[in-house]
Amino acid sequence: MVNLTIDDKQVTVAKDATIYDAAKSAGIKIPILCHDKKLHPFGGCRMCLVEVEQMKGRLIPACTTPVTEGMIIRTSNVEIIKARKLVLELLLLKHPVDCPVCDAAGDCDLQNLTYEYGVSKNPLQDEKFKWEIDYINPLIERDMNRCVHCGKCARICDEIVSFGAYSFINRGIDAKMGTAFDGPLDCEFCGSCVSVCPVGALLSRPFKFKARWWAMQKVKSVCSYCGTGCQLTLGVKDNKVLTTIYDENQGFHNGQLCTRGRWGYQFVNSEKRLTTPLIRKGNVLVEATWDEALALVTTKLREAKGGVAALATPRLTNEELYLFKKFITEGVGSQSIDHSAGYAHEALTSAAFKGLGEASSPSVIGDIQKSDLLLVVKTDAYETHPVIGFEINLGVKRQGVNLRLISDKKGKLSRLPGAQTLVHLPGSEVFLFNTLANIIVTEKLADEAAVTVAGYDALVKSLAVYTVEKGALLTGLSAEEITTLAREYASAKKALILLPLGLAYPGHNAPLAQSLLNLAILTGKIGKEGSGILFMAEKNNSQGAVDMGIVPGPGGKNGADIINGCASGEIKALYIAGENPVVSYPDRKRIEAALDKVGFLVVQDLFLTETAAKAHVVLPACSFAEKEGTFTSVGRNVQKVTRAIKPVGSSRSDFEIFNKLYAEFTGNPPYATPQSVFGEIADSVPGYGGLTWSKLGSDGFIRPVSNTLRFVPVEAAVTVSQPGKFALLTGSALNHSGTLSQYGEGPMMVCPEGYVEFGRDDVKKLGLLEGDKVVVTSAAGSVTLLAKLGKRLTTGVLFAPYHFGANSINTVASGDPVTWVSVAKAK
Amino acid sequence: MFNVASPLINGLKITLQHLFKKPVTLQYPTERPIIGPRFRGLHALNRFHDRSKCVACYLCPTVCPAKCITVEAAEDPVTHEKYASRYDIDILRCIFCGYCVEACPVDAVKMTETFELANYKREDFAYTQEMLTDKK
Repeated sequence: MVNLTIDDKQVTVAKDATIYDAAKSAGIKIPILCHDKKLHPFGGCRMCLVEVEQMKGRLIPACTTPVTEGMIIRTSNVEIIKARKLVLELLLLKHPVDCPVCDAAGDCDLQNLTYEYGVSKNPLQDEKFKWEIDYINPLIERDMNRCVHCGKCARICDEIVSFGAYSFINRGIDAKMGTAFDGPLDCEFCGSCVSVCPVGALLSRPFKFKARWWAMQKVKSVCSYCGTGCQLTLGVKDNKVLTTIYDENQGFHNGQLCTRGRWGYQFVNSEKRLTTPLIRKGNVLVEATWDEALALVTTKLREAKGGVAALATPRLTNEELYLFKKFITEGVGSQSIDHSAGYAHEALTSAAFKGLGEASSPSVIGDIQKSDLLLVVKTDAYETHPVIGFEINLGVKRQGVNLRLISDKKGKLSRLPGAQTLVHLPGSEVFLFNTLANIIVTEKLADEAAVTVAGYDALVKSLAVYTVEKGALLTGLSAEEITTLAREYASAKKALILLPLGLAYPGHNAPLAQSLLNLAILTGKIGKEGSGILFMAEKNNSQGAVDMGIVPGPGGKNGADIINGCASGEIKALYIAGENPVVSYPDRKRIEAALDKVGFLVVQDLFLTETAAKAHVVLPACSFAEKEGTFTSVGRNVQKVTRAIKPVGSSRSDFEIFNKLYAEFTGNPPYATPQSVFGEIADSVPGYGGLTWSKLGSDGFIRPVSNTLRFVPVEAAVTVSQPGKFALLTGSALNHSGTLSQYGEGPMMVCPEGYVEFGRDDVKKLGLLEGDKVVVTSAAGSVTLLAKLGKRLTTGVLFAPYHFGANSINTVASGDPVTWVSVAKAK
Repeated sequence: MFNVASPLINGLKITLQHLFKKPVTLQYPTERPIIGPRFRGLHALNRFHDRSKCVACYLCPTVCPAKCITVEAAEDPVTHEKYASRYDIDILRCIFCGYCVEACPVDAVKMTETFELANYKREDFAYTQEMLTDKK
């Protein structure tokens, strides 16, 4: 620790702190333009000049100067103010001062400082810049005339996003923030640059001219896309969510958001939202009142007694899921309830439950940067959970974490410094991890305590067949690569495995998760900081859905069996709350046929989805912005969702709907508020014990785990390649999450339709050009998609995102880890 | 007796004096008042080419103490400029304080000498941008 004096105040700070940090900790504000707490110090704007007694004669930039013992600092005197005013005058010399038409006004650092320092006239005079404004991309408007050259956009893009879209170009007065060859911006559009821009040089186009910053109400909530659990600030005006606002003090991610979190909010106030209940009359859905719709649901569910099943989306809050479970099991009397097609949560409900004694990840997101070695299964971890991807970037680049990617394709994470990607043959993951475990056992690299873990002998016995030679043959990796990886993983003091889960990853099921758990337990990685395994569940409340028991009860059917039961007529009534199985579950034709057969289908959703269009009753529900509750993220963080706007139209929150039905069916009094359900959750759900609404605070609460380790041997199913066919891998696109993001304008502006990605060699072989149409055919069906040319895929491997209702890849995907398809150019 | 009569006589004296002065009453509407240079009457929007000068900066609705101004901004699809797609004043709410004129950074809004604002229907007091913008 270092002691110093700032403005006559005694301050003690860590020795790696800067003067700026020290002043901030003492509550002294030093003005800044180019500094951001997430980024390395830059020292470009000279607004933070201070006087240091020991270095008199010149002013010292506070943001780049480290503190030393006994420093005596003045943050404000006549000379300093004069210097700061000059900085502002020089900036305003070129700045267009078009505040009336600039969306940054009100939230502009330059404007605020100009006002604070009273710079009302400028003794200097010069021409303004005349740079052309970039209106080409749909999301980010770049007006370099307003730029103050703080370099924050370039730095955040490099340091955190690791994309590198920007750099200073030209020299002297011609210097500006440019893109590659000064062309239009073409990046992943996460909007981090917009969030840190201190002026209006980078602006959100979807929000352009929508409202003034000061006229908006800022509501803190949690993002409703992926499971990362990023906190959001919603900008609300006139009962509409107009934008997301950057708050660097929010969450573990310091307000950092990904492309869909930042730009995908428009679904909340989409014109496509359902506003009234609908009841099927013949072939059409007609508008109805809530009383009519709920009465019909009640009668029909009662009639179908014994044949009722339910599917819920893990996008609902914990309270809603808890209530839904109660309504279905206690009220309707059915144990057939599930979510995510029954396989996307298996890693937690089956593998983690067996191997760890609890259906949740033993590690938390904070472990990523504290680890020594990250073993990421599939480069898709970046696309499924982009903000966890940023954490990986930071871990690798700032903390020197080693990154090993085990994937069937390369990806953005492969380009990180020191990252090694082992590209294996599709579908051979389990075999690979069993081989790794076998090497660890035979080379005696296992942790000493592993022998004492239950099931050790059975595991060792089962591993014997997974020899390196066979592993090399089946995975397509060299024996040396496999052995080195096993040694690296076993010898790393702290090693963390990341496994993304999701509907698009049928291969990321219980066996894969179990083989990874065996590997982690074998090397003693569970239960240590910066170590262990993180199951990255797909949806915002996937962990919550598992915790609230949205899985089949005793004798109940799981997701897959519910669909089969619908097809066979065994299930007479199906209640779907928020899921869109038609698009998101594999083998679309089969799902559609099954849903068409159900005697009574209730769909509760925000939109008239492809599934809702088949329903007998459609109940309009509310989005996350219209309700209160809690979400449990990857890494078990229980966070509060705040109501930002009133329900759209006559839509009701899922809580309200379930509450009414629950009371109707059980005869119990309805719950008063989501908070009262939360109280019951705290009393009955393991891990939530002792939690109260107020204890959650603004950052949430990471609920504890208690693990009982156990080895469960798994057999690796061998994927046999089919000659002449391509291996189709489904997955997540960076801009989308589930099928919900289709209703957000931002994601659709960048990625409006489905595509299929080809590797370099296949492109040549098939003679394809970007944008060509290709017909992809499997045993399940056939679909025409746009061809996209990628560099990351190996020969014979295709990739397609699954989010889209039109030309959905699930028409082709079979639900196996790999679907074998043939491809032809469309005529 | 004298004490009672004296104020009465004084009053009558004043009345008598006024009989020989120029009358202050204006024979409105045949006679028109002279309006002072800083009079704050009905608003008007200055014109710039084919639309009002307003750039929809929202400073007037922000500063308005009566909350009578509604502005909505839009982007010109060709020039990408910001303009007011809606500029409404609810004159029934307006207190004619003139803060909007003071706040306007582009000299778009002004106050005219129009003070005859009576009307028959409530709707007629809602002034739209079209009604407020100076005619060409």
